[in-house]
Amino acid sequence: MSNPSELLSDFNTLPEPEEISQIATWLSEAGLESLELSNDTGTRLRIRVAQAAADTAEISSVPACPAEPVAEVGTVAVSAPYFGHLCLDRPMGDGAFAPVGSMVRRDDVVALLTLDTLQVPVRAPVDGEVVEIVATPGALLGYGAEIMTIRPS
Amino acid sequence: MNDTPRFKRVLIANRGEIALRIQRACRQLGLETVAVHSDADAESRHVREADIALCIGPASAARSYLDPDGLLLAARMTGATAIHPGYGFLSENADFADAVEAAGLTFIGPTGASIRMMGDKITAKRAMRDAGVPCVPGSDGPLPASMEEVHAVARDVGFPVIVKASGGGGGRGMRVVTDAADLTQAVTLTAKEAQQAFGNPTLYLERFMQKPRHIEIQVLCDTHGTALWLGARDCSLQRRHQKVLEEAPPPGIAPDVIAEIGERCAQACRRIGYRGAGTFEFLYEDGVFAFIEMNTRVQVEHPITEETTGIDIVAAQLRIAQGEALAIRQEDIQQRGHAIECRLNAEDPFTFIPSPGTITRWDLPGGPGVRVDTHVVSGYTVPPYYDSLIGKVISHGGSRDEAIARLRVALAEMRVEGVSTNIALHQDLLADPHFHEGGVDIHYLERWLAERTAS
Repeated sequence: MSNPSELLSDFNTLPEPEEISQIATWLSEAGLESLELSNDTGTRLRIRVAQAAADTAEISSVPACPAEPVAEVGTVAVSAPYFGHLCLDRPMGDGAFAPVGSMVRRDDVVALLTLDTLQVPVRAPVDGEVVEIVATPGALLGYGAEIMTIRPS
Repeated sequence: MNDTPRFKRVLIANRGEIALRIQRACRQLGLETVAVHSDADAESRHVREADIALCIGPASAARSYLDPDGLLLAARMTGATAIHPGYGFLSENADFADAVEAAGLTFIGPTGASIRMMGDKITAKRAMRDAGVPCVPGSDGPLPASMEEVHAVARDVGFPVIVKASGGGGGRGMRVVTDAADLTQAVTLTAKEAQQAFGNPTLYLERFMQKPRHIEIQVLCDTHGTALWLGARDCSLQRRHQKVLEEAPPPGIAPDVIAEIGERCAQACRRIGYRGAGTFEFLYEDGVFAFIEMNTRVQVEHPITEETTGIDIVAAQLRIAQGEALAIRQEDIQQRGHAIECRLNAEDPFTFIPSPGTITRWDLPGGPGVRVDTHVVSGYTVPPYYDSLIGKVISHGGSRDEAIARLRVALAEMRVEGVSTNIALHQDLLADPHFHEGGVDIHYLERWLAERTAS
């Protein structure tokens, strides 16, 4: 994970509106929610193509990693591959990645973990049907926290 | 705390007893804590008691406690604006310290530049010599080509000397010379070996200290130009370079001798603009101190200095990081009595093989002058992934004899079941007549263990 300011050391002026539009298109094509650029002088540019992540100041409790997945018998737990705020909906706002009852394929993106400007995809471990969403959207999840359960097909 | 603290929420980038120690100090200063932890430490006491707990990765330290990006992201996600690195892990990683500050957060420790300077043995030794801190007498650079000049250097340094390859390390490429008559041959052979082994025949030499003690000076420096030394510790009882039992003050070294070396350390800190807590480590033999290295962090054995000076070192680290001036002056610092710390490890007391597992019984000692710093509670499972330190039993007494007596009773009171511990080793050491005399050297414990095995 690199700091954007290191990647764009000459980020001193705001991009043109056409460039911003192009970046937004790339973001949505990549299934990303937002892009943030900042430099040492404090200039920040944030481009969002979907709803904002939950405010970090509102943390009350963070689900800890369960010692053992508590998925119901016959189902497989989808656990967080990193930590971050849980986002179940597609960035472009066209519904959830994998709502209850939907069929998913192994390695499909079923959720995102949002960390400030970074988004980490959560992938299905198996083919199957989503039977339950266990975690709360917007909550800050720890590594290994259970997000949903899938009944393998 | 001043009116506008730099930070109100501290991320503790560590685990085990030191994480809990830092959390306690934060709480006492009214600071909130963020416990970031690996999957393996989810049930740890400081995690359960933190204001915010966040699992940042799997058991592997490389993906949790040693992951700088993950720690910085965790700070942003939890609103922590200061990071305390504890000891080990990233505590002496200059790049991490720089990255924390570059992210606009407070690193509770010295600057990256200070850590970098002390991390390199050559620059550290040069800085210390320039600042008047005594170093091992030596050639101060590569040996001259002329053998006559080499002999002159060795005579100045004083025999026995150790001839070392510049490119060497890990005990290879070195030869001890006790007699001037053997020097020429030793230098010729070592240079030849160094060329073969390291592709570099450059040599240097130093006085060889045969039976040194490990003596260290604790310092505390604020950002307003005050640098204090808090006394000395004797950490000579070591096994494989790991300290086992430490005491303060070092037995048999006159307070004015300690004071002189302590003042030089404080002076060196002022000179290099050092910030926070730190430790100058020395070898000590026949009244001579020789600087080895500086640790730019809080040490495992800091409690014995806290006990003898009454100064809370971890709280002081936090206050210094807030930008506060130290409220104490050097002349206020008293050395009261004697303190000893035993490091409790979950390991076999004879083979030293780690003994991870669930602790089913954990009865702690108590009484005057007894302190236990531990993250363990009954039912805690010692994970196999990290070091085996499960706690520290610290005793304080008006005299060394009283501290020893209190520690012996304390260890006898402890009941640990479910894992093996080295309590029996500490009990044997406390009963050892040479330990009672005080002042054993850094090889003593290894010799003692070898004799124990033989008998």
